[in-house]
Amino acid sequence: MIPLSWYLTFSFMMIGLGAYGMAVKRNLIRVLIGAEIMANGVTVALVALSLYMETFTFTGQALVILVISVAAAHTALAMVLMLMYNSRYGTVDLGRPGIQEEMQSE
Amino acid sequence: MQGNELVDLLEPVEFIAIAAIVLFLAYLALEHRDIVYAVFSFGIMASLVAGFFLLLEAPFIAGMQIAVYTGGISVLIIFGVLLLPRAQDTTLEAFEGPSKRRVGLLVSIFAVVFAAALALLYEWPAPAGWDTGIPQQRVDLAQSLEQLAVWLWGEHGIYVQMIALVMVTALVGAIAVLKMEKAERMNPESKDYGIGSSNDGGDETPVVDGPEEPEDEQEEVAE
Amino acid sequence: MDFIPVLIWALLGVVLVVVMLLASWVLRPHVLQNSEKLSSYECGEEPIGPARIAYPYNYFIYTILFVVVDVMGAFLWLLASSSLRLDIPVVWQTLIFVVIIMLGINFVMRTLPQTTLDGKETLELYQERKEARAHSTGHSGGH
Repeated sequence: MIPLSWYLTFSFMMIGLGAYGMAVKRNLIRVLIGAEIMANGVTVALVALSLYMETFTFTGQALVILVISVAAAHTALAMVLMLMYNSRYGTVDLGRPGIQEEMQSE
Repeated sequence: MQGNELVDLLEPVEFIAIAAIVLFLAYLALEHRDIVYAVFSFGIMASLVAGFFLLLEAPFIAGMQIAVYTGGISVLIIFGVLLLPRAQDTTLEAFEGPSKRRVGLLVSIFAVVFAAALALLYEWPAPAGWDTGIPQQRVDLAQSLEQLAVWLWGEHGIYVQMIALVMVTALVGAIAVLKMEKAERMNPESKDYGIGSSNDGGDETPVVDGPEEPEDEQEEVAE
Repeated sequence: MDFIPVLIWALLGVVLVVVMLLASWVLRPHVLQNSEKLSSYECGEEPIGPARIAYPYNYFIYTILFVVVDVMGAFLWLLASSSLRLDIPVVWQTLIFVVIIMLGINFVMRTLPQTTLDGKETLELYQERKEARAHSTGHSGGH
């Protein structure tokens, strides 16, 4: 059987990759993918911890079911907000809504 | 689980193989220049994470991961890329500045160092007998679905209704945002930037069924 | 040793795919591949721009509907694979769960036509744009 620290190492690497994507990327869709990668790391950690605790319960697995459902809902809303952002600012570039005007004035 | 060496070796090899593929695909999903390929590699990554849930004796979570993440969320993102052609602009992949890039590298280095410290230094709880090669069976897999259903539907049924309300909220919120978007297209506010700023911004709006259709008849009426 | 049939099936699958790809590569005619051959067919017209174009935003609602029904199906799958499905209180819970989601889908399907521009609104918008354009060209002195 695999030690718990392997799973936690993996999940923390996933969370680090997702945080890197969310911190660095300018494309809104990349930021969303980074958030989803973080959510995947968290679900792996939750399931591993629920299996390795002293007394096994299904709390971790049920929590992961709820996390996956809420992830579906928040991805849908985030994509719709991105469509709104695109139609209002004319770009999906994060944090620089006036970029088109700058490019035109140059 | 006869305890012979080949079977003992199988689980760590599976874990390392899946972890390497998943981390590589996650890196590709963040760094591939073409965002369509990036989203596809995210979908494959999400279906490979289900392998971890199978290793962790949670078959229902693995099925739900494949059904919802690979089947739902990656399809949502692919559809979003289809609807947002601007997202395929590769100039967006350049870094905003050296300071932001340094922050990102610091975050990832911190993640790797902290993960190594977690793995090597801390004493994690382990079920009895995991290091002797004869692990205690913690979950009766034949009863796993039954017990999970009893936990979720029988004892904590309110969570299921909460999920139903969250889903309905997502639907109604999406409709409300799309109605706001339509109202804004009908009466654009004057702004310093965006489509309201310049008169030729209207040609840039990504609507193909918009003002294209009645253009010809209207020209005839006007002339 | 119970896994030997699985291994045989996996090997068979890999061999089948490889052999089929190789056979089609051997058997198909290798004609000259130029830009005309590789361009996408658009009814004899010259294709302009890339094949990835924009679609109206309202199609996205159908994807969200699919995801909602997907999650609902996952929950009902968990219920259907247990013995709880014959429990009377759980049947009522299931009914409430399905009815809430169905009411949401009903509301969305009835509201969906309001999020698209209908013909009259498109005409209004076009006339406004045209007026504004005529106004701006009149100011700049025309051509």
